Amino acid sequence: MPAVDPILVVENIVKRFETQDGVLVAVDDVSFNVMPGEFLSVIGPSGCGKSTLFNVMGGLLGGYEGRISVGGETVRGPHASIGMIFQEESTFPWRTVIDNVAFPLEIAGMAKVERTEKARHFIDLVGLNGFERRYPSELSGGMRQRVSMARTLASEPKILLMDEPFAALDEQTRLLLGDKVLQIQQDLKQTTLLITHNLTEAVQLSDRILVMTYRPGKTKRIVEIALPRPRNSEIVSSDDFGRYVAQIWSDLREEASKGLKDDEARRVRSGGAGAS
Amino acid sequence: MAQTGHLTQSPPRAAAPWVTPVTRLRIIILLTVLIAWEAVAASGILLRDVVPSTLTIGRSLMEVLFRPDLKVSLAGAAFSMPAFYWHLYVTILEVAIALLIGGTSGLAVGLALGANPFLAKAFERYLYYLGPTPKIVFFPVMIMWFGVGPESKIAMGTVSAFFPVVLSAAAGMRQIEGVLIRVGRSFRLNTWQMVTKIYLPAMREPIVNGIRLGMGVAMIGTLLAETKLSNKGVGFMIIDAYNTFDMPRMYAVLLMLFVIAIGANSLVGRASRR
Amino acid sequence: MSARGAIQREGIPFVFGILCLLAVITVIEMLIRWGMINPFIVPKPTDIVMSFERIILEENILPRFMMTFGEALMASLMLSVVGISLGVLLHRNTTVRLATQNWVAAIASAPLVLMYPLFLVIFGRSAWTIIMIAFVSALPPVILKTLEGLAGTRAVLINVGRSFKLTPSQLYWKILFPAALPNIFVGVRLGMIFALINIVGVEFLINFGGLGQLVNELAERYDLPGTYAAICFVILVSVVFFIGTERIERWLRPGT
Repeated sequence: MPAVDPILVVENIVKRFETQDGVLVAVDDVSFNVMPGEFLSVIGPSGCGKSTLFNVMGGLLGGYEGRISVGGETVRGPHASIGMIFQEESTFPWRTVIDNVAFPLEIAGMAKVERTEKARHFIDLVGLNGFERRYPSELSGGMRQRVSMARTLASEPKILLMDEPFAALDEQTRLLLGDKVLQIQQDLKQTTLLITHNLTEAVQLSDRILVMTYRPGKTKRIVEIALPRPRNSEIVSSDDFGRYVAQIWSDLREEASKGLKDDEARRVRSGGAGAS
Repeated sequence: MAQTGHLTQSPPRAAAPWVTPVTRLRIIILLTVLIAWEAVAASGILLRDVVPSTLTIGRSLMEVLFRPDLKVSLAGAAFSMPAFYWHLYVTILEVAIALLIGGTSGLAVGLALGANPFLAKAFERYLYYLGPTPKIVFFPVMIMWFGVGPESKIAMGTVSAFFPVVLSAAAGMRQIEGVLIRVGRSFRLNTWQMVTKIYLPAMREPIVNGIRLGMGVAMIGTLLAETKLSNKGVGFMIIDAYNTFDMPRMYAVLLMLFVIAIGANSLVGRASRR
Repeated sequence: MSARGAIQREGIPFVFGILCLLAVITVIEMLIRWGMINPFIVPKPTDIVMSFERIILEENILPRFMMTFGEALMASLMLSVVGISLGVLLHRNTTVRLATQNWVAAIASAPLVLMYPLFLVIFGRSAWTIIMIAFVSALPPVILKTLEGLAGTRAVLINVGRSFKLTPSQLYWKILFPAALPNIFVGVRLGMIFALINIVGVEFLINFGGLGQLVNELAERYDLPGTYAAICFVILVSVVFFIGTERIERWLRPGT
């Protein structure tokens, strides 16, 4: 038993959706804890309810069974201790980089001079110094995602919640940004929860990985990643890394192929319906 | 254009920028129009008054802009000024008030429709279909409601301006990226902060566009109403020139009106780009 | 299940909207009957409905409608021929486009319909005044939309044409023009709607011709319910015209 209490407790979450074909159980009885400073990834095939879980934990989606608590306090609606980073491009196109990053500080009522200085610190942290006065439209996709990251970090959340933040980026950018995340997480001792469908990303970054099943989304297994810290992207070439990837893939493979079959069946069905 | 190779123009080699083919063509077009116009004016093919010489129009323009033909007393001091500016002031004021009332109500209704799918499904179709209808036929009703003075013209402008603003605000609100709203909620913004920090900045372009369109139709509604029944405003000046058969003056006023309208439009258009 | 859902999603708001409109009309009727609104400013809605029959029977509504419709048709025809041709010309010759595109865009934002007294002098109080002012004031958007459609053809489609070794004129008629057609019709439709608005408006203003003049005449006769009924009729005709062109547009651009 660990000496410290978990910072995030997720207990028996069930989330159902009403759809045209009946009730869909997106998340089915998922429970886990996250320790302070820990990096936990939730991995699963597309359509396993990962994003639902993300929105539920972020307080953006209600109407579920079970309980989520941060430091013993039940989450109802978006919680001040949880900072979210979204999968989609989410920078404000009408604000410069520095004004984007200073956004949560502005909302908190911090004076202009102070918040600019603080925002600059977080821009440095994600390695975007020199781009403070640029607009997001002038930046690459990877840079924009770093702006979102800096913006969320600037609110100094106890828990960082990320939903496939690198999904839209190419593999090399993804690995390098993974390095950035590792470095930030190790520097700030940032508790982080990453939702992903990317195997190497999950193994590269995590202390533990929760593998979800395909529809209904249940916990299949929780894997401890005992790779040494501090890490960087070079770890992908180590033997241990390969073993972990292989192990998790064997779990994931069955689920992913279920998802693929289901998806194909749905396409055939809707294609047939469209023709008639 | 890169996609149609045979259309590319030859690069202007070592030529000063003001004699590029484009500038040359512009000058040629302008000169052709001018010469053709003068030829028609001199030949008298059309009534001489319909196509007066450009010199006559120029003289009228000078008179409209600079001849002090209106006596005004302001704060006890009596002086004269060109009547054009007085009429222009009346029209601009009417259009501005119309745009203020029509734009604000349009924005409020548009935001409500954009935020509430139920209301949008219940009412938006009517606004959508009423938008492109000839508003000027409401003018007799507006005269009955608001009298023959500037109020009925303002009412015409307001009715005209309302529709483009309401439709673009409602559509603009629905087009906001959902993730931006989720970002706002994840930072726990209150309703006021959501409106001022997320919704309005994200809708800036459609809203400004709606206002630009609204200004255009408000101008048309107000001016047409002035030509129908009024004793002041630029619309009145145009119809007055028609009634006194002073064609050069009509050209002069129309010219000034178009210059001002185009200028105002491009000014608002510039506000939508950063 | 899904059909019932659709009825709930679409039907309930639709009925609610209609009920609200009826409620507003009823309240106005009541307020007039109770003397809280002056019936010499706003006639009773029931009186307006009653006058529909009268204006249809006594005011030559069919010839008027045909006249307005004929003017709109003529203006639309001229708009399509001249507008599309000028758009194509601007697209084919880059120099011409660079020289004049901004001019056309600027002119499009000027209140051109205010030139109607000028056309009145040239053509007199005739249908041609109305047709010409409608044509001139609606021309710029047709040119601009045609140009936009042609210039916006996806580069890959043109490359497909080139890979089949099409001649420039084949490229134009087999690829560019068909690809631009939906956009061109958007412009023509926009022009037709502008034209109808200006036709009815100028008919009203110069007291000549079809439906616009009807409103003016009834208003000058102080036939209040008749004026309101005529306005409703004009609005109805424009809405039907708008929906009709919308249907044609949808029919012309399948697969989008």
